[in-house]
Amino acid sequence: MSERAMELSHGVKIGVGRLTPYLLAVVASFAAAGIFIAAMGFDVPKAYVTILFTSFRTPSGIVQTLLKFVPLLLQALAFTVPLSAGKFNIGGEGQLIVGAIGATAVGILFAGLPALLLLPMVILAGILFGAFWAAIPAWLLYRFNINEILTTVLMNFVSFSLIDYVATKVWRDPAAGHPTTVPIGAGGELPLLIARPPLNMGIILAVFIAAAVYIYVSRTVAGYELVATGANPRASMVYGIDVRKMFLLSLILGGALAGLSGAIEVAGIQHRLIEGLQSNYLLLGIIIGLIAKGNNLAVPFVAFFIAVLEVGASAMQRTMMIPVEMVFIVEALILLFVLLSDVVRRR
Amino acid sequence: MWRPMKNSTILEMRGVHKSFGAVVALDDVSLQLNSKEIHGLLGGNGAGKTTLMNILYGLYRPDAGEVSLHGEKVEIQSPRDAIRHGIGMVHQHFLQIDNFTVTQNIVLGTLPKNRPTLNLVQEEKRIRGLSEKFGLEVNPRALIENLPMGVRQKVEILKALYRGIVILILDEPTTSLTPQEVDSLFQSLRAMVEEGMSVVFITHKLREVLSVCDRISVLRDGKNVLTVQRDEASEETLVKGMVGEELDIEKSVLFSTSGLDQKALQVGQKPVLQVEGLQVASEEGGLSVKDCSFQVREKEILGIAGVAGNGQRALAESLISIRPIAEGHVWIDDTSIANTKTRSLLEAGVTYIPEDRLHDGFLPTANVAQNLILGSHRQKPYSQGRFLDWKAIFQAARNLISEHNIKTLGPGEVAANLSGGNIQRVMLARAFSRPAKLLVAHNPTRGLDIPSTEFVYSKLLERKKHGMATLLLSEDLDELLLLCDRIATIYRGEVVGILERSEFDKYEIGRMMSGVKTRE
Amino acid sequence: MGQFEIQIVNFARLVMLALVPYVLASQGTMLGGRTGIFNVAQEGIMLVGASVGFLGAYLYGNLFYGLLLAMLVGGLVGLALAYFTTTLKMNQFVIGLALFFFCLGLSTLLYKFVIGVSLQPPLIPTLQGVPIPGLSQIPILGDILFNQNWLVYIAILLSIFLYYLLYKTSIGLELRAVGENPMAADSLGVNVALMRYTTAIVGGALIGLAGAYLPMVYTGTFTAGIVRGRGWLAIALTFFGGWSPHLIFLGSLFFAGIEVLSFRVQVVGLGIPYQFLLMLPYVATILVMVFAFKWVRVPAFLGQNYDRERRTLA
Repeated sequence: MSERAMELSHGVKIGVGRLTPYLLAVVASFAAAGIFIAAMGFDVPKAYVTILFTSFRTPSGIVQTLLKFVPLLLQALAFTVPLSAGKFNIGGEGQLIVGAIGATAVGILFAGLPALLLLPMVILAGILFGAFWAAIPAWLLYRFNINEILTTVLMNFVSFSLIDYVATKVWRDPAAGHPTTVPIGAGGELPLLIARPPLNMGIILAVFIAAAVYIYVSRTVAGYELVATGANPRASMVYGIDVRKMFLLSLILGGALAGLSGAIEVAGIQHRLIEGLQSNYLLLGIIIGLIAKGNNLAVPFVAFFIAVLEVGASAMQRTMMIPVEMVFIVEALILLFVLLSDVVRRR
Repeated sequence: MWRPMKNSTILEMRGVHKSFGAVVALDDVSLQLNSKEIHGLLGGNGAGKTTLMNILYGLYRPDAGEVSLHGEKVEIQSPRDAIRHGIGMVHQHFLQIDNFTVTQNIVLGTLPKNRPTLNLVQEEKRIRGLSEKFGLEVNPRALIENLPMGVRQKVEILKALYRGIVILILDEPTTSLTPQEVDSLFQSLRAMVEEGMSVVFITHKLREVLSVCDRISVLRDGKNVLTVQRDEASEETLVKGMVGEELDIEKSVLFSTSGLDQKALQVGQKPVLQVEGLQVASEEGGLSVKDCSFQVREKEILGIAGVAGNGQRALAESLISIRPIAEGHVWIDDTSIANTKTRSLLEAGVTYIPEDRLHDGFLPTANVAQNLILGSHRQKPYSQGRFLDWKAIFQAARNLISEHNIKTLGPGEVAANLSGGNIQRVMLARAFSRPAKLLVAHNPTRGLDIPSTEFVYSKLLERKKHGMATLLLSEDLDELLLLCDRIATIYRGEVVGILERSEFDKYEIGRMMSGVKTRE
Repeated sequence: MGQFEIQIVNFARLVMLALVPYVLASQGTMLGGRTGIFNVAQEGIMLVGASVGFLGAYLYGNLFYGLLLAMLVGGLVGLALAYFTTTLKMNQFVIGLALFFFCLGLSTLLYKFVIGVSLQPPLIPTLQGVPIPGLSQIPILGDILFNQNWLVYIAILLSIFLYYLLYKTSIGLELRAVGENPMAADSLGVNVALMRYTTAIVGGALIGLAGAYLPMVYTGTFTAGIVRGRGWLAIALTFFGGWSPHLIFLGSLFFAGIEVLSFRVQVVGLGIPYQFLLMLPYVATILVMVFAFKWVRVPAFLGQNYDRERRTLA
């Protein structure tokens, strides 16, 4: 490979040869799942086709995939940014939820404002609230050196209670059967790119943010310090980097990204706060981040692939009665095989 | 071929090969050990000495080769096997459990599994017995973490003796000892040999092998190049064995007998670093540095001698603001560093070479370029404002790579893929990549092979001639005696004496290292 | 006994009941951690233990088989963890997370596979109390301590046994050495890999057992949310207990107390919205960790893999 290419992608080089382990991992996981599916008595090829191609069959499928892609992409970044500093943010779920709460709150309290004002406020609220939710474990890490894996996870559980409270007490929509709030003001809704099926502008926002994150990590001084901190915090400290500040910053950035995903869910899709909106985005986000090995360039591609699988999974459960968890296991297996391929390569 | 004389060969290693990935550590090495012999295994760092002995001790598996004891071939797959065959090893970095007692550390692995209690009175008695017999005094009930290095080494040796070993391997045992403790160790070794044991003594120090060993084997680049009886050996032949043709011995700093040239011995007038009444707190409470005062002038190398653990690290780290100063004053170029951040000090021209270069300086998952700019990444030309200039960085990296002879695919290669020696070169390249007015170096040549050690010395002297002040903290007394204009000795966090070059005396410094104050 | 005393006794009984999953999961975590394996998959192992335990009990009509099956599955996950980290030297956190995901999916998948979708979730009988003859007659204490199901007794006995094992036997010495300095232990002939595998497997089995306890004592059925974060809380508890069996047991009392409290106060109706009470265990844990992280001594090699032939930091 020429030196110029090396310069351009300082970090990870993506050549065709390097995709092989990933492809093998996917094939192996599908094969393993196939055994299980056959044992359950279902039609294996049909299942494969449904999982992989539902996204591309209809315009609705494509839009569904893109809509899922957005929170998955942001959740994955919410995990990989702290990861580059060596920290594990398992709190993306809570940060999404609290971000969504913030976005909804602003959207409801200022419902009368025109879109020019309300929409940015709603999005910003999501980002800030999510950042705040991550700042608590980040501060505990900074001040007391408490492991962030535990604190971020525990904050998730706290957020479940919080959203329940907001959706059943504070702004409850009495007409809804499931805990839901009243809708936010029309100005807070993300405009649509396509009307039918509805695709909101969240995707543009998300892709833009992903690009910004990449540039930040790979080209700025702060990004360098983040990466150095993750590579060896002690060495970074010895050479003048404020490591503890890096930990703090990386977690708060992660929270902001997750909060944004919550805001987009509210402003773009549901236009209100619905309990359970976090779905399984956190888990998938982490899986995506790990499969991409923390490389922010690879994350969007992996996220898109997982979005395809997820859309296929619900279609499969609907039409073939195979539980969606089957696909979740496939995704977990892909992760395991990708990790194993690293080990094989090392030998 | 060398023939055994009155003693018989008890251990033989034949045709040993060992590679780590692409790096060949041992290439067809053979070694013979006689009974009742102290056999020196001499060579620079990276020559393969530790690797060979780790194979003997069962920690590494050889790619090829065999080991025979008393003429019979043996298979040693793990330390357990080695111990069973009567082989014991004292590693360079002591393998001890800090929060266990001396006794617990010694008996670990020897107790029967189904033993219902941990009452170790019998074991303690046996340890005391061995202790007396071989002159290795320890308190069996003490916790390891409270013991000084010299005593900890005795515990390591007792671990082997307790298991009734016949062959004892010592890996660089004198690194952390004062000259007096070294003498005491050699006496203990003699006592063991009298009892019928054999010792393999790994070291890179010429004079040591000549003073205590019966026979000497020299390893270089993974090959056994020379085996001689002590009476047949001279410094010259041993040096030639260690460095081969790669080094011009006359021009070398390490081995030349003519000493430093005139220009290198000149010292400037203006003090660059001034330290007064420095106190630095230790992590456990109390003080690591209790009262240090000294100056380092332009063009001067001030050495800090001392046994490991007497506050050197705290001292070095406080000078670059990694550790806070509890009391006292430090001025660099007449400016107090009291509230200055590390980053500012580095930018102002202070360079630091940490003792543990890997742990405190290496970014394994980053690439070579990212490693090279660590600490200087905020300065031009590496960055402009908030953004890094990767083009400039890679260019500078390429220059450093060729200047320092670093074997790598390029600045973009992941640093973890480099061999150990090349990683060290990257660390050194970084240290010498920027101009500096003060260098704080802690054990800068520890673990380096001979060419790299030469390189460091020549760089130090070159910069010294151009005005740089150097604070050289080192546990290698020979190094200090070779390079320094003055040597201060640190003991329990205090400077106990400063000697001028004309007054250098190894044993006097040794006394100061043990806390004996002979000067004000 | 007055009304107040009855309340206290009931509370204490419930605490003893709630204690079990915390004790089992934490001691399981502690065992692995003592040899350096930092398990973060507990939440998943407990979930799959609950699922498998429930299904086993349901299919074979016997709670005991369910418990056994849960221990088996938990042990298998522990085996996987040991294999990936000790033999393949992969990052412990990442593998822990991967196993957590896998168990998550597996637990619901198995349930759906066996039970299918039904409006009326099937139930299994709950664990009965087993009074200890004589001791259970002691007023107040007898009812609290000696009139419980036999897993409570096991939790107590296990903690005592582990304390003795760890601090009073030579195996315990070797075990602790492996977690403090595996190279030292290895150089003296201690089988580091065997120790790590054993503790990971036994630990996994205990965690699986902790999970199976939940449907058998609380709900009688399996739901995806049945573990409710106890797996994560167990990690905090292990830290809080300084990785020592006796302190972990005491810490479990505290955690169980908080859990029972958060439910009880709802019932009593103090006017605080119940959602905030539900937060109590998690918030309390976070606060507890502030104290724990200061004075806790963690095995020095916790979370780090040991490679005999490792030459550089990478």
